[in-house]
Amino acid sequence: MIDVVLLGILVLIAVAAIRLRDLFAVVMLFGIYSLMTAVLFMDLDAVDVAFTEAAVGAGVTTVLMLSALRLTGRMERPSAHSALLPLVVVGVTGAALVYGTLDAPLVGDPTAPAQHHIAPRYLAQGPIEVALPNVVTAVLASYRGYDTLGETVVIFTAGIAVILLLGLHDDARQPATDSPELGRLVLRVVVKTLLPLILLYALYVQFHGDFGAGGGFQAGVIFATGFILYDLVFGDAIARRVMPPRWLPRLAALGVLLYAGVGVLGMLGGGAFLDYSVLSADPHHGQHLGVMLVELGVGLTVFSIVLAIFYALTECRRTA
Amino acid sequence: MLTAAVAAVLVTMVFALIRALKGPTVYDRMLAANAFGTKTVLLIALAGHALSWHSYLDVALLYAMVNFVGSIAVMRFFEQSPVPDEAYHEDQT
Repeated sequence: MIDVVLLGILVLIAVAAIRLRDLFAVVMLFGIYSLMTAVLFMDLDAVDVAFTEAAVGAGVTTVLMLSALRLTGRMERPSAHSALLPLVVVGVTGAALVYGTLDAPLVGDPTAPAQHHIAPRYLAQGPIEVALPNVVTAVLASYRGYDTLGETVVIFTAGIAVILLLGLHDDARQPATDSPELGRLVLRVVVKTLLPLILLYALYVQFHGDFGAGGGFQAGVIFATGFILYDLVFGDAIARRVMPPRWLPRLAALGVLLYAGVGVLGMLGGGAFLDYSVLSADPHHGQHLGVMLVELGVGLTVFSIVLAIFYALTECRRTA
Repeated sequence: MLTAAVAAVLVTMVFALIRALKGPTVYDRMLAANAFGTKTVLLIALAGHALSWHSYLDVALLYAMVNFVGSIAVMRFFEQSPVPDEAYHEDQT
């Protein structure tokens, strides 16, 4: 029942976002859309995914899109061509996709391939082989370690591409143009109180991901959100003194290096690449150690890339 | 009882959504999005308890903290590029 309401709201928001010309309103709607998606994920019992959606969708995406909006202007230009051809293409593609779902198993169908392929093995052997309470983390970081390494490299590559396109300069001599004024006193006090809690929560998500919901991806985004909040309230110049832009690409590379290094360490210990069991005399302890280090690498990369993209966008505005 | 509370929160969310869709000024949308975020925290906490979702309080807590950042960003956005008044008058007519 709650699914139907949530999906209905999602469709409504999507249609409105397409029709609106005011891009600021669209950004606001995207925020709402993301909130609804996270609730939907919660309802589907996918806590880790809901967590990611919450961390990325609620805070960072809004901030990044608003930063981009400052560069592009607020109103969408009316399109010069007719909407007929795109409509036909979208209609045909959508119809093909709907036709495709007719063959797919229903949600929660016990005979679906997703329930039979490798999931039963992960669920049965995960607590014995990896021995982590959160089976999602066990699958993500240990069984599917290659995939997660690939994802981390993708994030790294995308971030480096953005930095190359927009530029990330470490200009320490820039005048503090937007230094905090007295008018923002309440905001500054609130943020100073809130910031340690946000960073502490990020650390909790990072290191508690083995036991509950969360992990490196979510923690990296939350940590970056904390720094972005600091930048928004205290100004670019001061935030850059806390976390200089020149460190960010290095930290991002360090994260990937840490991840791949743990894999190579496994090979040196006599196992396969990204086999954590050989990292310690006790295979369970080795698995825990490997998962923790790997998640730390993911967190580092995600944090520095998100913050670097934010820095690059704000810098673009200042030089423009 | 909890179900009624969940339904009530969902109804208020729809109201906030209507305001966000209709506008007419950016402040309406801003406030609607902010209220929607707060309601989402409530919805996750309530529905999580009612439908026994896993670690729902973690997610609700995260939203409560992170939603705030979005609001600050919006305010900074309008501080640095003021709202054009004509958009308001256009929508009024």
